[in-house]
Amino acid sequence: MTDIAYRGHVARRPPEATMERSSVQRLVIAAGLLFLGIVLFLPLASVFFEAFRQGIDHYVASISEPDALAAIRLTLMVAVVAVPLNMAFGVVASWAIAKFEFRGKSFLITLIDLPFSVSPVIAGLIYVLLFGAQGFLGPWLSAHNIEIIFALPGIVLATMFVTFPFVARELIPLMQEQGTDEEEAAISLGASGWQTFRRITLPNIRWGLLYGVLLCNARAMGEFGAVAVVSGKIRGITNTMPLQVEILYNEYNFAAAFAVASLLALLALLTLVLKSFLEWRYGDHIAAAARH
Amino acid sequence: MDVKIRNIRKEFKGLAALYDVSLDIRSGELIALLGPSGSGKTTLLRLIAGLEFPNRGTIHFGDRDASFQSVQERHVGFVFQQYALFKHMTVFDNIAFGLTVRPRAERPAKAVIREKVMELLDLVQLSGLDRRYPAQLSGGQRQRVALARALAIDPTVLLLDEPFGALDARVRKDLRRWLRELHDAIHHTTVFVTHDQEEALELADRVVVMSNGKIEQVGTPLEVYDQPATPFVYGFLGSTNVLPVTVQQGQVFLEGFEIPLATTKDSISGPADIYIRAHDLEVTDNRQHAIPGVIRMIRRFSGQTRLEVRVPSSTHFISAEVPDDRYAGRDLEEGHKVFLRPRHFGLFPRESVFEIEAASADTAARLSVVS
Repeated sequence: MTDIAYRGHVARRPPEATMERSSVQRLVIAAGLLFLGIVLFLPLASVFFEAFRQGIDHYVASISEPDALAAIRLTLMVAVVAVPLNMAFGVVASWAIAKFEFRGKSFLITLIDLPFSVSPVIAGLIYVLLFGAQGFLGPWLSAHNIEIIFALPGIVLATMFVTFPFVARELIPLMQEQGTDEEEAAISLGASGWQTFRRITLPNIRWGLLYGVLLCNARAMGEFGAVAVVSGKIRGITNTMPLQVEILYNEYNFAAAFAVASLLALLALLTLVLKSFLEWRYGDHIAAAARH
Repeated sequence: MDVKIRNIRKEFKGLAALYDVSLDIRSGELIALLGPSGSGKTTLLRLIAGLEFPNRGTIHFGDRDASFQSVQERHVGFVFQQYALFKHMTVFDNIAFGLTVRPRAERPAKAVIREKVMELLDLVQLSGLDRRYPAQLSGGQRQRVALARALAIDPTVLLLDEPFGALDARVRKDLRRWLRELHDAIHHTTVFVTHDQEEALELADRVVVMSNGKIEQVGTPLEVYDQPATPFVYGFLGSTNVLPVTVQQGQVFLEGFEIPLATTKDSISGPADIYIRAHDLEVTDNRQHAIPGVIRMIRRFSGQTRLEVRVPSSTHFISAEVPDDRYAGRDLEEGHKVFLRPRHFGLFPRESVFEIEAASADTAARLSVVS
């Protein structure tokens, strides 16, 4: 009898079924772990290993080099603009979708999902075609000295496009499940629309919102494809961290590439920890956790 | 405050939920909207609240036309079926909500709000629970918090949507009595929705029976129960036998055989339905004005004898409920021939059942019994 059989959820089954299942179970779990180890854990560990291979001084030098710092700054800036905008949009869109009936509602839901189904490269190209020098609005923009492509606005737009659905997708099922009873109760007690939103709706969705923002932020900082198309990869000016990693790597500057990559990996780990914490602590208030 | 509802029509996606509904709610009365699901009773309640707006018709609060006033302007107290308490607020904050959201100029001072909330907690017998969260309360307690929250704004009308629907039977009975006492004490004009006839008949001053988006009858519990105006009310209240009959020159035929019931009107002729309440039947030896039958089944419980009687030469059964004591010595047995004499019955032309729109208190001829 294996130790697995003594765990509560397995022990409740009839013994013979447990015995048969435990060997199969162990095999499946081992296969799963092996796979995860090769595909996920090893690469992640190697990122940190490579980053520190030439010593901590080299690591610090790599990430404090001006181009790297510029990339970090740009990435943070993009996130600071794109995430709040998407958060505001996500809240408004899910509020409208979950609490009201209107024409074109299912069309709006489909639109919100579009970035999930479109390749990020296409997303970037759309903006180049629209705002680029040869693009639809290009001549007008250059006549007015407005730079979008190969500049910060383009990067923000591309990032926003790609991270569009995260907040809304998280909030729509949550708000739909909560229904409109509490809001109706609030307005029947004399609360205005804004008071109802601030005092009733927002507190009810806060953990779900935080969760959505977290995922949105992780994706915003890590986005490569769409940003690569619109940024033009100008060193120290329009390179975000993922682009910087790629450039350094292509220049065979592995230690520096992995050093910057390790920051992104760190962000991913931090996101994962926060996400797990939110799911563990506020699982009832997060739609995604309930779905999983 | 009295509420006058005139010719209200409400549609959802082109389908009518209410047809031409008019109703006067008197100031200070406790009135029940009673009907099966889909009868439009909750829609009517939400229209009074201003949570929905009518496609046609008007609603007056006193002399004020409230038809298109927002829910905030109408100042009603609404208690939701699932209470809709604010989960993230304490009981205190829930009850105080209606006062704290007022514009600064009208908002009472903190101390005044506190006093008012404590008073209300006392009224709903929840003193000491002000720091609890809704999740820490029982169903009955939540219901009373919802009520206190609605009362906090001194509502013009108190509206309750299935107030006891989510509670178990025992709590329901206690709360029902308590709500009646509360109403007698504070005399708020109160409208509540229910599908439970016992609840409506026991609690309300007047009952509005609704079906298919129309009001079938309005009256005191006694009136709607004893003098049902329409076939629907007959069928909905109490346990009722329905027999399809044919009327010819004042004589009633069930599947070709005459049942000697006395009718007072000749206005009905042709296919009709007879409605008889199970407890309105007397068992008798006298064949006059009585339906003959053979007892097929006898069940005795809780002081009652329930008989299933088969009407001879027909496929129809009649259920009768008679008090135990009166017939105890008479040895009612299965297979015995008896006569059932209805103290009351209703006779309605058949087409009224199919043309629900045409059926109203005025057109359906109601016949009372001569006995």
